[in-house]
Amino acid sequence: MDSITTAASVVAAGLAVGLGAIGPGIGQGSAAQGAVEGIARQPEAEGKIRGTLLLSFAFMESLTIYGLVVALVLLFANPFAG
Amino acid sequence: MEHWSLLLASGLYTPEKNSPTGVPFVCPNTETSKELKPSIETEIPGNHSRSSVNEYVSLQQRIFKLTFVVTAFAGMFTIIFVDYHAAISLFLGAFSGILYLRLLAKSIGSLGKNSTSVSKFQLLVPVVLVLVVTKLPELQLIPALVGFLLYKPSLIIQFLLEPSA
Repeated sequence: MDSITTAASVVAAGLAVGLGAIGPGIGQGSAAQGAVEGIARQPEAEGKIRGTLLLSFAFMESLTIYGLVVALVLLFANPFAG
Repeated sequence: MEHWSLLLASGLYTPEKNSPTGVPFVCPNTETSKELKPSIETEIPGNHSRSSVNEYVSLQQRIFKLTFVVTAFAGMFTIIFVDYHAAISLFLGAFSGILYLRLLAKSIGSLGKNSTSVSKFQLLVPVVLVLVVTKLPELQLIPALVGFLLYKPSLIIQFLLEPSA
């Protein structure tokens, strides 16, 4: 792998993780805030709130995982490496 | 009569100081004197949280069972139609996905009790998975990643079956 490909892969990996984590991070923060407020208001609905939070977190965090996987593939199993 | 029982149930009624403690209160005006018992069941505060915790645990168990079923189907499909090594990679990825989901559920379960934020410890699982798969030549990357994401169909099925969960 030549140096330009290596440098581009490292920069792209950083961008993939960094940019891919912005949206899910904001979304998870607001979801957790709403869930904790909901549990504080209605403690009897704690199970349902936590279950919904688990499902929504799993879907949101998969976006971060996509970026993470792309970055790891670029770093450790680069398809552009000659 | 109903007012007396409501007062007793609500705890606003305090017996007189001269009345003997331990002796049940007897209503004097009724022909058949009956012991006054609280007609309204007082709710124990811990019951709500215990039942909701059980609800959350049962939801996790349903999701894990669905994930195991989806993993079994996908694994059999891979063994029959693709490759034996690809099936091993898929199973490794699927169990990593279950571990990831377990850690996520654990961190969400402790949200508001022990911690104020959801931990990111579970994100180490796909990192370790990709590192292991790239280091071992017997394993393949794409089936492992597909296996890791096999928890999503079970989540979608669970969400479709019980939208309020």
